[in-house]
Amino acid sequence: MGNDILEVFANTLGNLENGEKLKELLMNAIDAKIPVTEIIEKGLRKGLETIGNKYEGGEYFLSELLYGSDLTNAVFEILKPYLQQLEADVKGTIVVGTVRGDMHDIGKNVFKMFAEASGFKVVDLGVDVDPELFINAVEEKKAEILGLSALLTTTISEMEMVLEKLNSAGIRNKVRVILGGNAVSAEFAEEIGADAAVLDAVQGVQLCKEWMGE
Amino acid sequence: MSTNRERFKQVLHHRKPDILPWVEIIFEETLMRWFREGLPADEVSVIGYEIGRGGTFFTNWPIFKGFGKVYDRFGCQSFFGSMPLIDVGPVPRFKQRKLSETEKHADYLTETGAIVRRPKRGDFEFYAMPQFIEFPVKDKKTWEEYKTRLNPEDPRRYPKDWEREGYIERFETYQKGPTLLRFNGFYGFGAELMSIPRFVTAFYKDPELIREMLEYWEYFTIETIREVVETLKNRIDVIYWWEDMAERHGPCISPKLFREFLLPHYKRVTGFLKKNGIDRIMFDSDGNLNPLLDEIIEAGCTGLWPLEVNSGMVALEIKQKYGDKFFLIGNLDKRELAKGGEAMRKEVDSKVPILKELGGYIPSADHVIHVEFSLDCFREYSEYMKSILPY
Repeated sequence: MGNDILEVFANTLGNLENGEKLKELLMNAIDAKIPVTEIIEKGLRKGLETIGNKYEGGEYFLSELLYGSDLTNAVFEILKPYLQQLEADVKGTIVVGTVRGDMHDIGKNVFKMFAEASGFKVVDLGVDVDPELFINAVEEKKAEILGLSALLTTTISEMEMVLEKLNSAGIRNKVRVILGGNAVSAEFAEEIGADAAVLDAVQGVQLCKEWMGE
Repeated sequence: MSTNRERFKQVLHHRKPDILPWVEIIFEETLMRWFREGLPADEVSVIGYEIGRGGTFFTNWPIFKGFGKVYDRFGCQSFFGSMPLIDVGPVPRFKQRKLSETEKHADYLTETGAIVRRPKRGDFEFYAMPQFIEFPVKDKKTWEEYKTRLNPEDPRRYPKDWEREGYIERFETYQKGPTLLRFNGFYGFGAELMSIPRFVTAFYKDPELIREMLEYWEYFTIETIREVVETLKNRIDVIYWWEDMAERHGPCISPKLFREFLLPHYKRVTGFLKKNGIDRIMFDSDGNLNPLLDEIIEAGCTGLWPLEVNSGMVALEIKQKYGDKFFLIGNLDKRELAKGGEAMRKEVDSKVPILKELGGYIPSADHVIHVEFSLDCFREYSEYMKSILPY
């Protein structure tokens, strides 16, 4: 029965159906005493996977991705009291932020939500972040991945500065660096010594999962 | 010998001019840099065409002070040649003011009612790209409140001395480039008033609000521009329909939602324009518009700008697929142009000669000339472009 509920839940989320229906299914799953880890794994993540696949396949666009994020946030709100059960299940820690001089955050926020729903612990430093703050956060949180975002052509040079500071601090080999945002490209990532540049949040989370051996 | 305006119009109508026009939009911060690098201020007079920019649109951009001569100096044209002086923004404006500041940034209320945060570290705080932290429309109630500023009948939308014959005469005798009418599209206005996330998710969460807003925007747009359109008719060379509705992956709104919600409204506005002899309608959007091009044609639009290379827009492919259904402006990779030298020449050579022969194309960087362009770099680009523009 649990699997039936979760399958309907995953389909409802993946197809972006009515949010109220989604909440009702979630409550049914909780009432049926399905473990939260299972709800997240077989319901939420499966649904998000469908959204991600449809986005990558050109059926969904930013409007659908953001609505999917909204639905997921609503689900997380309901699951909050149970979330401590998941602490042991964290896939890894990602530090993210938009680089200094750049105030854009839509892509970063979508990435954060998808990464959290995929089991990562995400430390979000916000926008207009000084290079030193990235370094401090990576060291302090022992992050496996650092995500740098920039929309503006004029601010991508900041990414290079962060990479330089990672090198100077002697921790470059301890963290993978992923670049996102309109201004970046694979060539640029290679040029400045980052590990990857991704086109969008969905690709970014997929790559992080691969890096963590999933 | 044709005028700049004639050349521009010829290309928009897929005819070949004697010399290919070249347009750019030079960012305010870039001009500030160039002044420091030796651009003579006395030759770059500030003229009074700030009307039509800044607060009069939903772009929430600092008021642009003119700098008209700088384009002549480099041999290119500004998009904003002559613009009918009508106000398509909120009337009355919100009073623009600084709300608070910290060491790092300052928060401002814009003339359109948003709150933006500007970083302080730039040389020119007011010209730096802002982060929007609050938007004026959040729900039906705040939309109803905002609507009171969107009355098309408000007499302040037209010049006080507006009079049909007089304005026709002025537009006949004073033409500093293409005559352009600029207003905000059905996506652009909503995203500017509500924020991108709130607006695009409202199509799912509150479709009735979206329908109502779009319905009103159609009414507001047509009724606000009606007098100037019915007066000047095809003296208006091109419509500049600001949308900015795509990111690198694709449109911010899916083709399905575009068709269901937006398309009928576009059709009615373009129908009104075409009935008045205006059929050059340019769709202005950054990002990857490829998945929406069929819909944009169906909407009645006939041109595209800026065709961002980094988002996968390829002018030559669009030209090959759609022929004369679109005139195209832009598509020169600003990142390559800003490098100067061989990289700049390679970028220009790979696109301009072939598109020039195919017609219906005006070269331009694939967005504004941003602050990474040094004065020397732009001079070099200018000299190279001028050498290849004549037919």
